[in-house]
Amino acid sequence: MKKKHLRILRNNLVLAVLAFIWLVPIVWLLVTSFSKYTGMNTSTFFPAEWSLQGYRNLLFSADSVAQFPRWFWNTFVIACFTCLISTLFVLMVAYATSCMRFPMRKPLMNLAVIINLFPGVLSMIAVYFILKTFNLTNSHIGLILVYSAGAGLGYLIAKGFFDTIPTSLHEAAYLDGASEATTFVKVVLPMSRPIIVYTVISSFLVPWMDFVYAKMILNSGISSQWTVAIGLYNMLEKSLINSYFTQFCAGGVLVSIPISALFVVMQKFYVEGVTGGAVKG
Amino acid sequence: MKKGKTGLSAFFGAVGGFFKEFGESVAKGDLFVKLSLVWMGAGYIRRKQIVKGILMTLFEVAVLLFSVLFAGQYVSKFGTLGTVQQESVFNIVTMQNEFNDYDNSFLILLFSVFSLIVWAVALVVWFCNIIAVYRLQKKAEAGEHINTFREDLISLINEKFHITLLTLPVLGVVFFTIIPLFILIAVAFTNYDQNHMPPASLFTWVGFKNFASLFGGGGLTSTFGYAFGKILIWTLVWAVFATITTYLGGILMSILVNSRYTKFPKLWRTLFVITIAVPQFVSLLLVRNFFADNGIMNTFCAAIGLTDWLREIGVISTSYIPFLTAPGWAHVMIILINIWIGVPYQMLIATGVLMNIPTDQLESARIDGATPRQTFFHITMPYMLFVTGPALVTDFVKNINNFNVIYLLTQGVFVTTDQMMASSQAKETDLLITWLFNLTQSYYNYKMASAIGIIVFIICAVFTLIAFNKFLKGDREEAYR
Repeated sequence: MKKKHLRILRNNLVLAVLAFIWLVPIVWLLVTSFSKYTGMNTSTFFPAEWSLQGYRNLLFSADSVAQFPRWFWNTFVIACFTCLISTLFVLMVAYATSCMRFPMRKPLMNLAVIINLFPGVLSMIAVYFILKTFNLTNSHIGLILVYSAGAGLGYLIAKGFFDTIPTSLHEAAYLDGASEATTFVKVVLPMSRPIIVYTVISSFLVPWMDFVYAKMILNSGISSQWTVAIGLYNMLEKSLINSYFTQFCAGGVLVSIPISALFVVMQKFYVEGVTGGAVKG
Repeated sequence: MKKGKTGLSAFFGAVGGFFKEFGESVAKGDLFVKLSLVWMGAGYIRRKQIVKGILMTLFEVAVLLFSVLFAGQYVSKFGTLGTVQQESVFNIVTMQNEFNDYDNSFLILLFSVFSLIVWAVALVVWFCNIIAVYRLQKKAEAGEHINTFREDLISLINEKFHITLLTLPVLGVVFFTIIPLFILIAVAFTNYDQNHMPPASLFTWVGFKNFASLFGGGGLTSTFGYAFGKILIWTLVWAVFATITTYLGGILMSILVNSRYTKFPKLWRTLFVITIAVPQFVSLLLVRNFFADNGIMNTFCAAIGLTDWLREIGVISTSYIPFLTAPGWAHVMIILINIWIGVPYQMLIATGVLMNIPTDQLESARIDGATPRQTFFHITMPYMLFVTGPALVTDFVKNINNFNVIYLLTQGVFVTTDQMMASSQAKETDLLITWLFNLTQSYYNYKMASAIGIIVFIICAVFTLIAFNKFLKGDREEAYR
């Protein structure tokens, strides 16, 4: 019994040390956001004077550099449209490849694997020029298109889920005279809640997490157009960091809270969707 | 890879069959099928599918108009990418400076690629059309029912529902992935850089010159070969370390968190997951300032005397520890910070996998008197490797292209002191992908960026193919069932 207690102590101690290391930067983010000093605090971990100034400036006194409410709204709108289009694309491709049989199915799927090998950042240069040709750079529509146009390629997880839906259900629907479209909308989709929620959240999160595409496409320097990511990145420019670091931390906290919440929910549905417990049998 | 080969031969078999049927259609088709070779709607109208016939005719007219009015003027210049330089000419009539009718090399390239794709699609439609009208003829001869237009439409939500479903997603991929891909490949063989920027000036084909300078060929960009070698090595070293450390770290952390000796496993897991739920641009930018030269970590190290000690033994020559500003230091720090970012994520995956590990195997190992260490190396790890092997391969590829970590940690912070690197617009901590990004964003050197892009793609593709062939052989789906 003594040995067991020792092991419990040891395990939890190791975890406590690890958790401490992992959380130090996050705690620093949190405490710095409540600092009264606007720049980066370099001498002590905790701010010398506490205040809500950072949040107040960020939310209520937007200036040409920091327009956080505006960025938040921009990102939210972009995220909603991206989410809608991506989710539709993913579910459509997943249903076609999983539940239907047609001659080009295998070749298309193999092609998707090869295309997926080609990292998005590489083709970005060309995408940028295509958007520029159609005058879609520095517009949110361009960004939405970039985020969602290729979404169909990310169909594999949803396909894996649809694969677990027994064929007998399709046959039953078919015998009842349902068309393929009716089967998709009325039979398969209602059973696929976990994977739909997972797809919705993960595509909603893309514009919040992405930095590269936004920076490339919204490059005019007009800060009212930006998304949260580039806005916050810009606050840390060498000339701005001393007046905006606290606001950066406050913005980081504000944006992290909803994202973390969604992320945790998504994890839960991911596990549910992948293990597929809901539908088997 | 047996499966791939049969897949490939099946593919060629299908293509062969397609052309065979096409030949048969042309040979045995009646007058209207033969007429369909030039007038695509003919066969349908003969079989009273009037709407379809009209649609096909419209399609043909549209393609022809597209070719004559649009594609022709671009594709005809595809060989040279344009010859007329932009010039400002004084127009006496309007009393203003106006541009001449100049060529824009990039538009020529873009619209040529686009036109070629349209033509390829039109060609396939043309082939299919002949086959389809021949089938109609056979149906009519056999006295079978021929679909009305209405029935054709209804089939789009029934047995042809996949066409309805896939059209838009495939179009999206074509426009935002495949066309850019072709353009990128094409640009790598041109001299598109800041001296040849359309619309002000033209660029043209240069063959393999960019690849030659990338692999150390002479010319003005002789330093590119040097920078490329260094960055390639660091990219590979980074990818190997980043993948292995986070993978093993994730498994170990997962075992620790889920151990039966651990209290509150959910609490610990949540604590670690918080760090990855914070968006990377927040957490990485924060960490970069945490480790800045005048940042809090340096204050701390100075306070406990670490900085002085390191200076005494000659590891550093500055009054601070250059965590992210000196080569060597920065490389190690980037890998360490990546552990911080990556391990909780891998832990989540490993937890999912470990929960599904067949308990009977663990049980029998325990009964046979295996130590925890033996169980780990002989049961847990082989199982993990089996399940997550493919994910490990894709992780490696993702790390080769791990833009976020490198860019957010080093951009604007790390400044290279190596003249050779600087003249290629590279720095020691760059991955190929961030180098490429900077080349396009700050230096407009699209030709080299595209060449690097192709190399990265080849590396990733070759690695993936080899890995899937060698290490993850055959169908082993049944092994753990």
